[in-house]
Amino acid sequence: MQSSGNTRTSRALLAGATLTVAGLLLSACTAAPDAPASGKPVVGGTLTYASGDAEPDCLDPHVGGNYPQALTGTQFLESLVSRDKSGAIIPWLASEWSESDDGLAWEFTLRENVYFSDGSPFDAAAVQANIAHLQDPATGSSTGYLALQKVTGTEAVSATVVRLTLAEPDSALLESLSQPWLAMESPEGLARGMEENCAAPIGTGPFVIKDWVKQDAITFVRNDTYDSPPADAGHEGPAYLEKIVWRFIPESASRYAALQAGEVDVIDNAQPDTIVQADKGDSIQHLDAPRPGAANRIELNSGTGPFTDPKVREAFIRSANVDDGVASLFQGTAKRSYSALSSAEALAVSRPELFEYDPKAAGKLLDSAGWSETDADGYRVKDGVRLTVFFPVSTNQSIPAEQSLFEQIQATAKETGFEVKLTPMDLSSWYGALGNGEYDAVSAPYTKVGPDVLRILFHSDGITPAPSGYFANHAQVNDPKLDELLTEAGRESDADKRKDLYTEAQNLLLEGFYILPLYDQQNHFLLGADVEGARALPTVSTPTFYDAWLSR
Amino acid sequence: MSDLELQAELGLGARRQGASPRPRRIGVAEGLAGAVALFLVLAAVVPQLLAPGDPLAIDPLSAFQPPSLPHWFGTDESGRDLYTRVVHGTGNSLLIGVLATTIGLGLGVLLGTLAGMLGGFVDFTVNRVLEVLFAFPGLLLALLVILIYGPGVATATIAVGLSTAPGYARIIRAQLVSVRSSAFVEAATVQGLTAWRILARHILPNTLAPLLVLATLGIGQAIVWATALSYLGLGAQPPAAEWGAMLSAGRTYITSAWWMSFFPGLFIVLTAVAATTLGRAIERRMRHA
Repeated sequence: MQSSGNTRTSRALLAGATLTVAGLLLSACTAAPDAPASGKPVVGGTLTYASGDAEPDCLDPHVGGNYPQALTGTQFLESLVSRDKSGAIIPWLASEWSESDDGLAWEFTLRENVYFSDGSPFDAAAVQANIAHLQDPATGSSTGYLALQKVTGTEAVSATVVRLTLAEPDSALLESLSQPWLAMESPEGLARGMEENCAAPIGTGPFVIKDWVKQDAITFVRNDTYDSPPADAGHEGPAYLEKIVWRFIPESASRYAALQAGEVDVIDNAQPDTIVQADKGDSIQHLDAPRPGAANRIELNSGTGPFTDPKVREAFIRSANVDDGVASLFQGTAKRSYSALSSAEALAVSRPELFEYDPKAAGKLLDSAGWSETDADGYRVKDGVRLTVFFPVSTNQSIPAEQSLFEQIQATAKETGFEVKLTPMDLSSWYGALGNGEYDAVSAPYTKVGPDVLRILFHSDGITPAPSGYFANHAQVNDPKLDELLTEAGRESDADKRKDLYTEAQNLLLEGFYILPLYDQQNHFLLGADVEGARALPTVSTPTFYDAWLSR
Repeated sequence: MSDLELQAELGLGARRQGASPRPRRIGVAEGLAGAVALFLVLAAVVPQLLAPGDPLAIDPLSAFQPPSLPHWFGTDESGRDLYTRVVHGTGNSLLIGVLATTIGLGLGVLLGTLAGMLGGFVDFTVNRVLEVLFAFPGLLLALLVILIYGPGVATATIAVGLSTAPGYARIIRAQLVSVRSSAFVEAATVQGLTAWRILARHILPNTLAPLLVLATLGIGQAIVWATALSYLGLGAQPPAAEWGAMLSAGRTYITSAWWMSFFPGLFIVLTAVAATTLGRAIERRMRHA
């Protein structure tokens, strides 16, 4: 143990990662000598995490609100409620809650004796400040802002009771509040202004941001006074780990190599081939935690361009051979989806028959839609214009296997006569392309707890950008009937009626050929064999290391 | 006149010395390099002859196959045949290499000739501009061009061409200056020939000869640079059959499918080595000719 610690130290020294060195020295001192094989958790040690997601511009998940922010936010921020494995809402910073009979007011009783890491108390006023921050257009929130759309006011009933008033009943309110994008931050921290708060938001969580070296790593240290874990946590009191070094290694093969070499303890965004390798051996653990909310899908822009015609949308979907691609590229680590929702959602409707690969039918559909001529390169033409599909691809959000799948779809769609132009882009160019409407097809992950994600993605309100400039309805679905169903479902507190409404809405959406579902949002973590007690939070499947410890 | 005689004497001597101990035989390395070059040119001009398949044809169900008889270099993640892709990628890579070198050399000759012939203020200005360009490493200069004009094969070609131009310009200028002050030019000037005639008949032929060597060496370098840009996602875009892009795609699967990055990499190395070996061989022959 000691010697492996030494080689690791020298390797890290060579790489010049001084942070890691300090961490490893600490872990060698505290954890190595008498680590038991299993059983009793060891206190201390540094866990090094390597993320393949984009490095956030801002660590405050209120600002914008994407998955990389949720990943880091989970380490030092906490939400009012959480979810357990079965999907039931459980207490976290709020110990209990109640809904008024008309569904227009909610009261949350807050956990007592909880303090932010700057020493200020977590109370009703703090919740009010956070909701105001999320709803302030200047914050530029998209995820949190959309989740709180129905909340019109807040009131501190007492220091530990806060009341939210709503414009209309919201059956998804608790699910929304459980997400890391709506986590509670110190009001004093928020008051420092966006720049300072983005660099080091202050929360109540088990770890605290020590420093953030851009393009390199964030260092979290243990919050020694912490005692507010969610109801499903494994222990109470402070975390076991002394420190978490959160590195960014965008290149997937390097990330896996770093894990194999023991330079890092946990990696995310693991590639299918490395998962298959890891599952064969026993030196690496695999944590498969599909994200809730929407399934990964290609959205067809029904607002402009060729996909305004439903026949052309259907033709594209029929021309794409997704099944074979998923089978070969994901090597059994992902299952094909025929639904708008993740298989983690109980209300997901699956319609395999709508998405069968059928190039002949696709050709006929194009004929009847007026794209009957073919040019010299084999592409369909109408009025002298080639049938071209602009498809910007976010290299940050689509793993290489997914990018390869898009290439295969490009190849099979070509046989039918679609010219698919794939353009790999970094995250900000990609947001830019979407914002300017420069796309016919796009694949954008969207994670949200519960089926209410359908409203965000497919309600016509989602065509209008949120304050951050991001709009979620990429398919630009504008169907009054669908709007009505989604709005109604969002209000309905009766479980059966809610289910019927979401089922009808999903059928309408899938039969409209607005989306081509691919598979659940893949979320695979690989962990070193000596990492114990790590788990994914059942809210949006971000990893939490509160219960984690190192058996080395 | 005695100078001229001496010059003639020296030239003759050099020729004799070079000719006798080294008969014009083709070495093993040169032969191999020639064979590789021949294969590459053939692959670039008539890829269908060497690999009749379609480099973009996918076959998901036979993805990730190691090298075998039906797939000499194995298959990639979409079941595309790597041998077909490597062969069809040759044209792309060679074309980028040749075009980039032409651009670099053309610009270099222009700037170098201007500086070397006109001298004075022009020489000074061109030299300062070249110094500024030299301050950037070549690849950085190429990245700058791509940043402005966006990624793609055309920009990558121009970028590589532009970033190699300063080097060529320097060499040509130095060569020009040394040839211009040589005895035979002096003799021509004394004989009363016009400046343009001297440039065309005496100076340029003596300057451009070494350029042939430089160009051959340069093509190898340009190909490596262009593939490097594609590897970074700034040149040819996937799924185009281009060596750098293929290398980049293979990198993801390097732990489980080595052949995906090995063969494109092998061809990049072979091309660069062959171009360098041939360049050196030409250089030697010219020196002894």
